[in-house]
Order: sequence, then C-alpha cells, then structure tokens
Amino acid sequence: MTEARIHDRGYLAYDGPRHGPGRAMVVLSYHTVQRVLGLKRSNWQKVMPAIALLVAFVPAIVFIGLAALLPASNDLDLGDPAGYYVPISFVLFLFTSFVTPEALCTDRRSGMLGLYLASPLNRDTYLASKFVAVIAVLGVMTIGPTLLMLIAFTLDGSGPDGAVDWLIEFGRVLASGLAMAAFWGSLALAISSLSPRRTLASVAIFVSLLVSAAVGDGLAEGAEVGDSFALLNMIALPIETVYRIYGEVNPDGPPIRNVETLPILLTFLGLIVVFGWFARWRYQRIEVTG
Amino acid sequence: MSDVVISARGVQKSYGSNHVLQGLDCDVGRGITGLLGPNGAGKSTFMGLVLGLRPRQGGTLNVLGVDPDQSGPELRARLGYAPEHHDLPGDVQAADLVRHIAQLHGLPRRAATERASDALWQVGLGEERFRPIGTMSTGQRQRVKMAQAIAHDPDLLLLDEPTDGLDPVQRDDMLALIRRVGSEFGIDILLSSHLLEEVERVCDSVVILANGVVGHSSALDGLGSAASGVKVELDSDPQPLAAALAARGAEATIDGHIIIVTGHDAVSDLVRDLVADLGLGLRRLEPRRTTLEDVFIEASL
Repeated sequence: MTEARIHDRGYLAYDGPRHGPGRAMVVLSYHTVQRVLGLKRSNWQKVMPAIALLVAFVPAIVFIGLAALLPASNDLDLGDPAGYYVPISFVLFLFTSFVTPEALCTDRRSGMLGLYLASPLNRDTYLASKFVAVIAVLGVMTIGPTLLMLIAFTLDGSGPDGAVDWLIEFGRVLASGLAMAAFWGSLALAISSLSPRRTLASVAIFVSLLVSAAVGDGLAEGAEVGDSFALLNMIALPIETVYRIYGEVNPDGPPIRNVETLPILLTFLGLIVVFGWFARWRYQRIEVTG
Repeated sequence: MSDVVISARGVQKSYGSNHVLQGLDCDVGRGITGLLGPNGAGKSTFMGLVLGLRPRQGGTLNVLGVDPDQSGPELRARLGYAPEHHDLPGDVQAADLVRHIAQLHGLPRRAATERASDALWQVGLGEERFRPIGTMSTGQRQRVKMAQAIAHDPDLLLLDEPTDGLDPVQRDDMLALIRRVGSEFGIDILLSSHLLEEVERVCDSVVILANGVVGHSSALDGLGSAASGVKVELDSDPQPLAAALAARGAEATIDGHIIIVTGHDAVSDLVRDLVADLGLGLRRLEPRRTTLEDVFIEASL
C-alpha cells in the first residue's frame, strides 16, 4: 500500500487567534538574538559569538570549579565581581564592534526593515525589540559570569553574610550587568543606525571607542586639562560605573577613577539616552517604500 | 465588508518643499486595483500612507475602515505587503522567512509554520521552501515575497511592482498568480505598477496618479466599450482623406497610414463616403476604443 499525502490543500482563510504588537516585539527580539548569535546560520557566523561567550564564562567557570573542589579553602582568591568586568570588557568591546551591528544593519541591507515596518511593528517598537535583543545577548555575557561568581563566593563560604546581603549583592550583579549591556548595546545601535553596511558599522564602533579612550585619557592625563575629560573614555566609563555600583573605585583604572560618582553616573545614563535618541532619530527618517 | 477598501479625500504629503501628494481623492473598491502613474507621481508615497508608515499632512484616509495614522499596528496586522526590491536575507530559508513574517502579523508559531508551508505551495515553491533565499532566482524571490504577504491571510494586499525583473514567462506566471490571489483567495489587492499591459490584464479597476493627484479612476471593463470615433487604415497616403475630413469639420489625426477620426458614430459613414469618393484603398475601418494607454496619457498630461 502506498502512502498518500495531500500537498496542495488550496488556500484556506485563517480564523484562529491573532496576537497583538507586543507579541510581534517578542518574535522580533527572539529572531534577532538568534541572528546575532549566528543560530540557523553558517558555522562561520557562529565563531565570534561562541568565542566571546567562552572567553566571558571560562574564568567564572574555573572559579566555580575551584570553589567546588576546595570549598573550605581560605586561600582561594576569587577576586571581586566588579573587577571581573575589566578583563571581559575586551570581549564586550570586540563583540559589540563586530557582532551586534548584525542586529540592525542586515535588516536595512536585506530589505527586511520594509517588511518589519509593514507588520504591526512601528519604528519605535522595532528599535525597542532590537535593543532588548542586543541587551539580552550582551546581558548573558555581563550578568552570567558574575552571577556564577556570586554562586562561587557563596559555595566557598566567602560570599555575602545573610540573606539580605546576598540579595543586595545579587541586585548589584543584575544592575551592573544590565548597565554594562545597556551602554554597549545602545552605542552599537546608535552607530549601526548610520549605515546599512555591517562592516562599516563595525569599524565605526571599533574606531569610535578607541578614539574616545585616547581623547578622554589624553585630555585628562596627558594635557592635564581636568579629570572630567576622562568621562569621554567610553571604554573606561562603563567599567568605572560598575565599580561605583559596588561602592568601589577601580584601583588600577585610567584617570576616570578620579572623577566623583555622580558625574560618572549622570554621564553614563546620559550617553545611553543620547545613543537611544540618536538611533530613533535616524530611524524616523528612513524610507522603506519605493 | 464595505465595497470601498481605501477611501482618500484631500490627502496631502510633502517632503520638505516637494509636494508629492496634493489633495488626492480616490476610492479603491474590492477586487484588484491597479495604481498607475509615471515615476514620481506619488505611488510609493501613497502606499506608505496606506500602510501607516508616514503621517499625512492633510486630508482624510480610511483603509479597511480605520485611519492608518491612528491605528497603524492594528491595520498592518490585516495588510500584506510585497515591496518592490528583490533583496531578502540570502541565508534564510524561504519557509523560515514566511513563518517569521506570519508570526509578526500575530499568528501563533504552529499556525504560522503551517500557513507558511501552505503559502509557499500556493505560489509554486512547495518543493523549494527549505532552500536559502540567496540561492533562488529573481522569479522565485518574487514568489517568496508574495508568499510572505499572503501567509497571514490579509484582507488587503499591497503589491509594489510585483513583476519587476521577471522574464516574460515568469511575468505571465506572476500575473496569473496575482489574478488567482485576487479571485480565488478573495484577497483585495492594490497593485502598483508602471506597466499598463499588466494592469489591463489582471486588474478590475485602475487609479492613475499624476502630479500628486488622481488623474483618472474607473473600472477597467468600461474602458473598451466607450467608442470615441473611428480608426481608418488606408493602403496609400492618408493626407487627401485627412484634408477632406478637415474640410467637412471632422477632427482627424494622421499616424502613419492610419487616421484617427474623433467624433460620434456617424463619422464612420462620412469616412466611408469620402474614401469611396476619393477612390482610396481601404484596409480597415473600425470604431476607436479608448485604451488604458489613452487614459494614462490624458491623465498624465
């Protein structure tokens, strides 16, 4: 007996349930996370995200392993969560430069932006979905390792004392990770909004960060025109912000360590707002029909 | 559902000092409507307004009973749109793209997956649905665009130059598909094109834009029945006949061996008599029908 299959059922009207624009945002965010991480794409597209995640997590995983093997060791120096951001900032820097432009640039280059804006999404919800997706991916790298660190501290017995302190530390981990992800993510979206070409956006992000560091530290330390100019250093600013969230100052940091906490936090938040506003301003002007 | 799908009254849209739409009035009815106009007439701008992608600066616009400026997301959930460009993400499978767009239009994942597959079968890409779009021909990409536009069962489909880049055979296939979507699937269509022959073949009615306003709007089946004179083809120089017609007050235009004589039906008797009197060889004498090209040229002037 042969198996019969009906391939053409004819065109059927759809009268099932339909979700609203909120669901469309979730769908787009999820799809963007997949794109950025290289899922359902060629193996080559998976290399950079995989390396970034590996480098971000490996030290934390080593800490956890040591804590599990030597749970009572008082000699185990686990460092501090704020300090963890210094080495992984380099990974974040590369990831933001070379992977996150995929979130925006490809949609414009491939014409998908027109299809997205012809759906229940609008320009604002489209950008918000992209922002959430980028933060989610960056957040895995910024929150994940420090959360594992917190677990390692706790297992080691050198973590926060009591439930309240533990929750405060947990809040700091979340706040620091989200702040870091929001800063790098908004920066990436702002610069990516300038061009549909991913490579161009990557180079622009990379160069702008390096230039900001050189100019900021050069003015603050080299020209000695004032420590406040160190706030221009967009590589050091998020790291120092995380230190301040932990109530500390980066002991080995660049000149920004000499700036008061309030200007640092205001500049940090202000830049996120400016980056977001700039991306929105750009996208309000993009024509997608014709 | 109302018989009017899109209703525009005094719609204005400017980009800086460029007044693209200057008080556009039209009603787009059910069925397939062709949106014609020369380059820069405002077709794409009008499509953008219908989709609610841009706010208009004046007038009222009603699409499927709602104002796109007020209810853009809700309206777009009921619209399908196939853009003019051929660019689609090359590394994505056709089925994934169509499902993704269907999900964005509110379909749950399972339903979107099923309907994406069905839509791709309907446009003739059933066997190709798991191929990356980058490996597809221009004709296949046009079909993918059509599939993503119909998968969520829209009430109104907006097609922007759907045969652009297709060879004659692919064009015929695409026009047949559009006709099928409009008739069998019961989806109303607004088709933007600059090809008159295409619009004549598949559309029920036409809206012609010119200089930011509607130059003409009517059903297409009424066009051919309206006689407006006769067309005369001679086997010799038409000048003597044209002169004789002019002497009797008839308006005649020479186009090669053909003379277009405008006027009422009785003009054909006059032509017949003059041809006989002048001893000319008559090849053809037929009523002159108004073609879409005539209307287009008149509307675009």
